[in-house]
Amino acid sequence: MKFKSFLNNLLLNLTWIMLLIPVSGQAQAMDFLRSTGKIYTVVVVIAIIFIGLAIYLIRLDNKLTKLENHIKNEQ
Amino acid sequence: MIQKGMWWKLSGIILFLYVLWGGMTIPLRPGITSINPSSAKTGDTIELKATGYNTHFASVRNGRAWLKLDSVHAIKALTWQAKNDNELTFRFILPQTLPNATEVFPLHLIIDNETDGAFVHPNALFLSSSTDTLSFDAIPWTKHELGQFNDHQGIQFPYRSILNETIRNTFFHVALWFAMFLLLIFGVVYSIRYLSTSDYEFDRKASAYTNIAVLYGIFGILTGSVWAKFTWNTFWTNDVKLNMTAIALLIYLAYIILRGMNYDQDKRARLAAIYNIFAFIALIPLVFVIPRMTDSLHPGNGGNPALGGEDLDHTLRMFFYPSILALFLIGKWIAELTIRFERVKDHFYLKKS
Repeated sequence: MKFKSFLNNLLLNLTWIMLLIPVSGQAQAMDFLRSTGKIYTVVVVIAIIFIGLAIYLIRLDNKLTKLENHIKNEQ
Repeated sequence: MIQKGMWWKLSGIILFLYVLWGGMTIPLRPGITSINPSSAKTGDTIELKATGYNTHFASVRNGRAWLKLDSVHAIKALTWQAKNDNELTFRFILPQTLPNATEVFPLHLIIDNETDGAFVHPNALFLSSSTDTLSFDAIPWTKHELGQFNDHQGIQFPYRSILNETIRNTFFHVALWFAMFLLLIFGVVYSIRYLSTSDYEFDRKASAYTNIAVLYGIFGILTGSVWAKFTWNTFWTNDVKLNMTAIALLIYLAYIILRGMNYDQDKRARLAAIYNIFAFIALIPLVFVIPRMTDSLHPGNGGNPALGGEDLDHTLRMFFYPSILALFLIGKWIAELTIRFERVKDHFYLKKS
């Protein structure tokens, strides 16, 4: 549950940050991703895959912990 | 420490590290990013400014350049003035007449030197006639021979304008889809085996493989979206391939919901297996047939060549195929973990009830 509330907080904060970034800041971020032959686009793509796999594994981990607790309680 | 059956998991990781290392460190071939001016009239003497990428204009001794029309018609640059390694000015004297009766000629710029090798910037300069007279003379165009070109040194990925460095996404975005398809094949095979044996083990396997494949599909959509933003300048186009893949993913999301429902295990497994087979049958026309029948921005669709030419040359293949295998093995590993979890869960709850 602690982890869940941490995730919720993180999402909330990220939403605020996104809302507070001025348009020029966003344009700067876009320019950065286009610099050096758009290499940072590749970095973002790899990051998406890595973060996605991490989220899937964290969820599996949580489900396993729950099952372990169930089994422990039964014994 | 290394358990039995660990070798393919480790090889998946090692292959992925190889792809990351090679895919991110091997440089691109030199190329031209921009040309100024982009049009001219016959008889002009023009100073052509070229901006290069990964080029060594200032440090070469034997630099040459041509404006080429076709294999016999070309004009050679008179001077080679490099401001730095990436900025270059040459002077061309364009002939008074056009070689034949076409209104506008797209000329390709060829640059050749001993370090970068020879490379082409297609449609660099558009040439039109300065007078209305209809005189054509091909002779001034054939005086300059193209001669021998230098080869570039070492392994380099192809330079494609607009794509630039993002050609490396072939190893991640494209390989992800190929790995997804392999995992879906595993899923549907296990679904068929469940229907013929009624063994829940196959139901668990089919579900785990399909789950990870759908996850890969979602990554594919997200990574493709980011790639499209910086090459096609939009996160989502109305490209057929995009829309059809989105439909296919929705069909598979329905499978996950169906498989996740909480009712009689036997009915659920049977229904999910049958649905999975239908979903796979629907996937093939959606992803492989319909996009090929119309225009599409994707290679391999609507007349674009797939897996060939400069889009996938032998240097890209060195990392593209290992990447498919690596992503597939990592997916298989994660699927295996899910299967083991589901197995323990099923055994525990069956024993209890």
